[in-house]
Amino acid sequence: MGTLNRRAFLRSSFGTVGALALWPSARALGANDKIVMGVMGLGGRGTYLAEKFAERPDVEVAYLCDPNTRRFARAREAVEEAQDRSPKMVQDFRRMLDDKSVDVLINATPDHWHAMASILACQAGKDVFVEKPLAHNIWEGRKMVEAARKYQRVIQVGMQSRSAPYAHKARDYIRAGKLGEVYLVRVYNMMQHPKQREAPDGPVPDGFDYELWCGPAPKRPYNPSRQWLNQFDYSCGPIAGDAVHQFDLARFLVGDPLYPSAVSQTGAIRSLRDGRDMPDTQMALFEYDGLTMTLDASLWTPYMKKIPASIRDSDRFPDWPFCSTKVEVLGTQGFMVFGRHGGGWQAYDGNSELVHSEFGRQGDKEHQDNFIDCIRSRKRPTSDVEIGHLSVLPFHIANISYRVGNQRLQFDPATESFTNCDEANQYLKRQYRPGWAIPESV
Amino acid sequence: MARQRRLRSIRVCAAIWLALCAGVEARWLPTHDVKVRVEHTEMGGPRIAVEYELKDPNISPESPAYVFLRYSKDLGDNWQLVPMDALQGNGFDIVERPGRKEVFWWGTDQTVTTDPEQIEVRVRAIAMARAPSGRFVMKALPGGGRDESRKTGPDTNLPLYYMAKYETTVAMYADYLNEVGGEGAGWNQRMARADRCGIIQESNHTYSVAPGREDYPVTYVSWYDAMGFLRWCGLRLPTEAEWEKALRGGLYLDGDEAKARPNPRPERRYPWGDEAPDEGGVYRCNFDGEDDGFERLAPVGSFGKFASPYGICDLAGNVAEWTLDWYSTSYHVGLDGFRTVRGGSWMAVPEGCDAVTGATQLPLQESSIMGFRGVQSPATAP
Repeated sequence: MGTLNRRAFLRSSFGTVGALALWPSARALGANDKIVMGVMGLGGRGTYLAEKFAERPDVEVAYLCDPNTRRFARAREAVEEAQDRSPKMVQDFRRMLDDKSVDVLINATPDHWHAMASILACQAGKDVFVEKPLAHNIWEGRKMVEAARKYQRVIQVGMQSRSAPYAHKARDYIRAGKLGEVYLVRVYNMMQHPKQREAPDGPVPDGFDYELWCGPAPKRPYNPSRQWLNQFDYSCGPIAGDAVHQFDLARFLVGDPLYPSAVSQTGAIRSLRDGRDMPDTQMALFEYDGLTMTLDASLWTPYMKKIPASIRDSDRFPDWPFCSTKVEVLGTQGFMVFGRHGGGWQAYDGNSELVHSEFGRQGDKEHQDNFIDCIRSRKRPTSDVEIGHLSVLPFHIANISYRVGNQRLQFDPATESFTNCDEANQYLKRQYRPGWAIPESV
Repeated sequence: MARQRRLRSIRVCAAIWLALCAGVEARWLPTHDVKVRVEHTEMGGPRIAVEYELKDPNISPESPAYVFLRYSKDLGDNWQLVPMDALQGNGFDIVERPGRKEVFWWGTDQTVTTDPEQIEVRVRAIAMARAPSGRFVMKALPGGGRDESRKTGPDTNLPLYYMAKYETTVAMYADYLNEVGGEGAGWNQRMARADRCGIIQESNHTYSVAPGREDYPVTYVSWYDAMGFLRWCGLRLPTEAEWEKALRGGLYLDGDEAKARPNPRPERRYPWGDEAPDEGGVYRCNFDGEDDGFERLAPVGSFGKFASPYGICDLAGNVAEWTLDWYSTSYHVGLDGFRTVRGGSWMAVPEGCDAVTGATQLPLQESSIMGFRGVQSPATAP
């Protein structure tokens, strides 16, 4: 496919569905104009974002969208309560993109929809807030970056910890050399997930556009118990999907190293043998220039706790040994332990003495503020699309390592591909269903 | 004075709302001619005798009243539930017949106050429906999953329980607040919205109901608010299984012991059967839009013709209802304490008002599309 325009993309990717108007240009926003948003994906996160943005006086949530109409009521109620105005309810997100009055797409869909919807939004002149992990695979992440740059769109990724003030203080502390030279960063993501329930395939429920839900992903028979998060077809996995928060923080703390040159990984399904195809146990080692980062991840460790709500926005620290979402930064002169979710951080010197403590607060509000500011200023946001790409890319590599037998993979940043394993390169991108492909040139 | 105390009258909610489709007393079931006196017995010490009349001719074993008593020993400043196990008579807990009732409360001089004549008593009654013990077809997986593919569900077996026929109303909840909510507990500012709830907090920490809102379901109640009200009554929230059985009915509508009345449609999708809520231009519940006659909420029992096999109204639509169950399929389990809500609401699409639709909510969530109703626990069933 040649250079993409919206008309061609709609024809090639979505058949005859969708309006065929030319791409509208971005609406010129006046200083007092409300920013008009459409929210795609009305699960827990999408509903939360819809409500939070609707509460802002400078935003109007004009659309709520989900292929499953049973999800409409809860999100609509939250938005109506927040802004005292009813949003339009649609199943097909292209209705939002067709509306020239819409400035922003909030993309809170499953991973397999992040790239396609965000790229289409960029082409339609919309700015995008897309949930993490940025993309389903490495190639799609790169295409999202290309689309944002080509159409001069703001894409903020939902990695809000990067906006938390306590994280900035920690970065400054490390940057000032108080830990000495940092050569090792350990990232943890130790969770407790239940097994998937087993149920036979069945009919698609009324009011659920399953064809649209699958979109660019394979259309498997509908199964009410299948959890998309546990399947490579639809997801980066429950580990990558959550650990990317800590990994992004870790990258931020040590100055945002770009690409790992190699990734070693061992992964397996140890405990949750329930039909999933993603590992429930992963240990990975990411080799950056002058820095090693590691991941310890599991889905079956109930004694490891996410930072509880009572600590997240308080002057308290988590119980570090059992903190499931911590980052440890090891320097030649000191050590820092850092907690996601506003868990704060503490630093120790070479004698293991506690030398600095900083309580934390979550960064959601600051992250949303930053997005709104950037929509108006046209600056790149705190969690710009390329940052999102580089923070999840190591997990994509680890997952690919798992799929090719836990091989150590060498990665070429210039081509974003592997240099020592042809088999691994087939997982850089996925196969698309006819009519649902993202083209090479976005 | 003593005689006046003995004959102290009690508060009775007597107003009756007449539903559009049937005569329905959708708030407290009226209790009439309530009399309270202290009797001094020869052997057992003083007892408090409460007499009242339940006139509703529809009260029956299948459609009983749940009657609970609350008392104050400090001139009405504080009120507490009278323990059911301290009572004798024919007019407390599940009451299966209308007529004159007599309840005796023993041991107050030992457990409450040495001067029983200080005690004030209030009597309230709720219309209930009987769900006999036995199996039913459950298609929603407790904890938020659903499995509509099942042609025959698991033989889920539940003991006898009773469920409120109607969602808890604004008037009932305001009555509760006036008794216990002096400090504002259980009330939030959004409840004052007359188009979606209608409970106004007055300056002296009393609560009034916006005119005409008495029989609408109470909304903006958190899970904790719902539990607070129901504990006040001596009830609890239904489990998801109880909620779904209440909608479909058991395999036998008279229970597995009798097995005389097979459920004609034990796998029904809606309380009335399998027809969509708007099929054939007939509107069977309150869902999104105003074609059903209600732009927003509807008074409870407005679709009484389309009640469940047990006669329970509004399980489909109007307000989604809190349940007792945790949401347990998420990695949030144990962290955020999500609870499950069942049923559609006035904002839901028609198909979202079926037997398997549910949602997960943080228990602190207060919403204009969520309410609740009570269940009488089988453990205390007579």
